[in-house]
Amino acid sequence: MIESFSQQFTALQGWLFETAIQPLVYHLGLMAYVEPVYEGLGTAMVGIIEIAVLVALLKPLERWRPVEQWAEKRAVRADVLYTWLHRLGVLPMAIFLLLVIPFNELEIWLRMHDIVRPNIEDVMPWLERNSVGAFVIYLLLLDLVEYWLHRWQHKFNGWWALHSLHHSQRQMTFWADDRNHLLDDVITSAAVALAALIIGVPSGQFFLLIIAGRMIESLSHANVRLSFGRLGERLLVSPKFHRAHHAIGVGHEGVNRGCNFAVLFPLWDIVFRTANFQSAYEPTGIRDQLQGRDYGIGFWRQQWLGLVRLRDAFRRAGGGAGFAP
Amino acid sequence: MFKLKYLYKFVWILAGLFGGAAWAQQGVAFVLNSNDDTVSLIDTRTYKEISRKRVGREPHHLMITPDRKSLIVASVQSHDLIFFDPVTGEPQKRIDKIIDPYQLGFSPDSKWFVTAALALDRVDIYTAADYKLVKRLPAPRGPSHLIFSADNRHVIFTLQHTNAVMVVDMIAQAVKGTYSIGKTPAGIWMSPDDKHIFVGLLGEDNVAVMDWRSGQMVKKIVTAPGAHNFMPMGDKRRLLVTNRVANSVSIIDMHTLSVLETFKVPGGPDDMEITADGKELWVTSRWINKVTVIDMETRKVKTQIPVGRSPHGIYFHHHAPRQ
Repeated sequence: MIESFSQQFTALQGWLFETAIQPLVYHLGLMAYVEPVYEGLGTAMVGIIEIAVLVALLKPLERWRPVEQWAEKRAVRADVLYTWLHRLGVLPMAIFLLLVIPFNELEIWLRMHDIVRPNIEDVMPWLERNSVGAFVIYLLLLDLVEYWLHRWQHKFNGWWALHSLHHSQRQMTFWADDRNHLLDDVITSAAVALAALIIGVPSGQFFLLIIAGRMIESLSHANVRLSFGRLGERLLVSPKFHRAHHAIGVGHEGVNRGCNFAVLFPLWDIVFRTANFQSAYEPTGIRDQLQGRDYGIGFWRQQWLGLVRLRDAFRRAGGGAGFAP
Repeated sequence: MFKLKYLYKFVWILAGLFGGAAWAQQGVAFVLNSNDDTVSLIDTRTYKEISRKRVGREPHHLMITPDRKSLIVASVQSHDLIFFDPVTGEPQKRIDKIIDPYQLGFSPDSKWFVTAALALDRVDIYTAADYKLVKRLPAPRGPSHLIFSADNRHVIFTLQHTNAVMVVDMIAQAVKGTYSIGKTPAGIWMSPDDKHIFVGLLGEDNVAVMDWRSGQMVKKIVTAPGAHNFMPMGDKRRLLVTNRVANSVSIIDMHTLSVLETFKVPGGPDDMEITADGKELWVTSRWINKVTVIDMETRKVKTQIPVGRSPHGIYFHHHAPRQ
């Protein structure tokens, strides 16, 4: 079934590309970039399917067992926009274009000095014949990197000034996954790219699993009473587990400035003692919202206020009054 | 750790020897799936994919060694060469730290092995006997495909992002000249008399013919939009060129510098291979993840074989002479 779907997907992608996109690329004189454009079309198509599947699966789930119910859902609209921009590849492409030159230069410099980006397979050669094992190890390592990035997003005031936008959603639904400040996206993308320079990147042949991972991240934000059970909660990030991370007074406070930072695997929260399996389905948001702080409703307002908070955080670091968790 | 690594490689080769016997008597086509990091092995008689083997990261091109005992698959992201038995399709060995080997080629005298590092804007020269780096030459943007002159003295590179070609003197091991040629030059081929290069202009609808010694443009042979890569038909006269945007393949007469005919090949035709008897042309159809087999008597699609994502380089051992 997957193979049949994959063939139909490729046929559609090829047809769209050959009839509409490639002629345009040719007439614009951009044939040197024809392969990345083809990949971009695939990303956008996958994004559309992904969103369709999310709506088909998670919407009924949210209706069936909602944690909260709201009469008015204006606050969710911007999250829908973030999701489309991300899953269609618009924001990732913009970030890629922003980062590609400095990272290419860095990689060229490294390679010209014979510092070759390692792959896990170089350290563990037996993985060369075990592509699934290699992929799992990459997934775990990249998840570990994301865990620590996430910890630092909460720890450093300047970074939290941006990342708090993600946590300011008090009507959390599966659309909230991509709700991020653009500068936060750029910083985390650069950090992940840097990590990839050090540990390598997983093989492209498992793109379906990567999509599955992204869908789990969406599910973890869903407005649904759903736990994976005692064992499952410890294996994969569930809506219950991640809701604790977004809960007012729980998810962004305390010694570690929060709990349940893991993106896919709670293992890292268990190892680094930041796991919280006790929290019930608490209201989401940030404590200062209860005192009236505005994080914005619309896309541009949210982005602007993020920059204002960042300025305030720097002022505070300089000794003045400013923004902090 | 090192001992384990060698042990592992030994086991891998051993497994290859035993596993490969069954296919030894059949023709095997190799197709590089650039986005899957795999090579598809296809039985050329039944048109069925026999197996799909994992290779390095992002393999693009392949090249037979001068002794014809190994087929090299080069991967740009894992910076390695994996050697396969070109008849059975079984792996032989791996050489790492060959940096960004997008395209590769041997000098006709088998002395040099040269790679074009498309992402790094440089060309690397190795001794072919042991693949030891001898010289690294910075290049203008996008060194892509390459061809040697018959006298081993020069190697000419297309510069995909610079719209030019670059001539490297192999004795001086230095760049001799760079000449403008047209939009997005990709594939390159040498005329049988060694005087002219044929360059596929991906950003145009033609093949540029240039006197590579002087840099003088001889002719632009109009084929169809997206002229890309070449394959000679073995008679020292006819040269096939894929037209990726037009979804076609043209046959060029290398003597008269004209197009003999053009026929349709679907799916973004990229690299080609032609059987020794000239009856079948195999083309990687990049945009539809298939290999298209053309019946050269009718010039029609005979069959299409599903492979992995972004099929690029293709090879089989019973091919027509490269002339």
